[in-house]
Amino acid sequence: MRRTSISPRDDWQQKVASAGLLFHSQEGEEMDRPYWDESAFYELSAEEVDTLEAAGHTLQQMCLEAAQHVIDNKRYAELDIPAAAVPAIEWAWENEPPALYGRFDIAYDGSGPPKLLEYNADTPTSLLEAAVIQWAWLEEQFPNADQFNSIHERLIAKWQDIAPYLSKPVYFAGLDNPEDQLTLAYLRDTAQQAGLPTLPILISDLGWNPQREAFVDLEERQIFSIFKLYPWEMMVAEEFGPAALETYTAMRWIEPIWKMLLSNKGILAILWELFPGHELLLESCFEHSPGTLGSYVRKPLHSREGSNITVVKDGVTVASTGGPYNGPSIVQALAPVAPFADNLRPGASRYPVLGLWMVDQQCCGLGIRESSGLITDNLSSFVPHCFL
Amino acid sequence: MIRSAKVTAPLLASVALSMATGCRKPEMQRCVDEKNRVVDDSFCANLPANNQQNQNLNGPGGIPFIPMYHYYYGGWGGYGLGTMVGGGSYTPSSGHSYATRSGVTTRGGFGRSMSAGHGGGE
Repeated sequence: MRRTSISPRDDWQQKVASAGLLFHSQEGEEMDRPYWDESAFYELSAEEVDTLEAAGHTLQQMCLEAAQHVIDNKRYAELDIPAAAVPAIEWAWENEPPALYGRFDIAYDGSGPPKLLEYNADTPTSLLEAAVIQWAWLEEQFPNADQFNSIHERLIAKWQDIAPYLSKPVYFAGLDNPEDQLTLAYLRDTAQQAGLPTLPILISDLGWNPQREAFVDLEERQIFSIFKLYPWEMMVAEEFGPAALETYTAMRWIEPIWKMLLSNKGILAILWELFPGHELLLESCFEHSPGTLGSYVRKPLHSREGSNITVVKDGVTVASTGGPYNGPSIVQALAPVAPFADNLRPGASRYPVLGLWMVDQQCCGLGIRESSGLITDNLSSFVPHCFL
Repeated sequence: MIRSAKVTAPLLASVALSMATGCRKPEMQRCVDEKNRVVDDSFCANLPANNQQNQNLNGPGGIPFIPMYHYYYGGWGGYGLGTMVGGGSYTPSSGHSYATRSGVTTRGGFGRSMSAGHGGGE
């Protein structure tokens, strides 16, 4: 695995924008390069891609076992999951309503086994970049090379698989911000290419009609099938949460609510309990547990986008971020990462996090985000990859 | 190998438009008859996809008439039954939010946890 400098394509901004990535160059004092950064790329070997693909499949099976363990042993409280959500979680787990996708975040530099950092199983983004934008980059820059990327085809195939279980149209709901709307538009596109009629709606426009005991759209039509790019842990805590839980079996929410078991950082501690010493895991435990880790990362169970993260090396805090997530936490051993040299700032380093995309239980693609420090957040850059 | 087929994403051009929309106060959403007079929301319940509801009834003298009810989005006028509306549309505008006369349907019950600028995805 190598990080190599390369000249960006002429007029790359227009090219990526025309494919939908409008926020390719975010502004801000903290950004020293575009969000879509094609001034460098990662080159992997076919063997390394095989290693990552196998790791994704193994981790998926381990995570499903961990979810079963949480359910069997009623460990919801440790994951800060409210009791009111449990019946819906258990119903969804038993009845397997449609699920679509997820993204493992992995620490990997090619020299050792991949290490799971977390599983974004409920609301992953950076999807268009991984599925489409970097593929177009590859076709222009390295037409004879390959890329770990069949995300687009897998998504369409998965929509086709689950179409019989969905009422139409399928609604796509999310917040009114560029990143989420881009992901929603792309996923709508894959659903429509699979033959599903779709409609967009802002998550704040979802209506609840208590007389009909139904969620409705802006035209008061009842919603039966909906993809929501909004985390379950927030949904169950908000005003409509009780209504969503009470009517859960009558609707098809994608992702299903049991995904909140896996998107919870507490699953990392559960995984370590179930598979201690596994080569794909980093030692993890709940914060209240007695730990012996000298170098670790503290992560709130529900933290997002690098917020409220603390990095401790040899007992000394070396990095931390603020944010709104102040609930219970886990601690996870610091990944043995080897940073890569920064092509734009001599002497500086870039820390990649590899996103392994899962669609229909299949590990089907890779997207790499990198940052200047140990914490990957929403200001990190997306860097394309290829393999030979 | 693990190559991707050519990707087409026809919906993406619409993203720019949706991104340009911001938060607005809810506008009026009223159920009206064929003369744009406000009627009770129950007449518009379970509207089909074309946002219209037809009823074949026999009027005085056996002459059939076809009252047609539909939602009316935005514009002037009020929520009062029998009052006239205008200046709006029979279809909602993307990114706008609406409030019905009866208030039976409430909105805004999801999406408040995320502060401005943060997304629901990660």
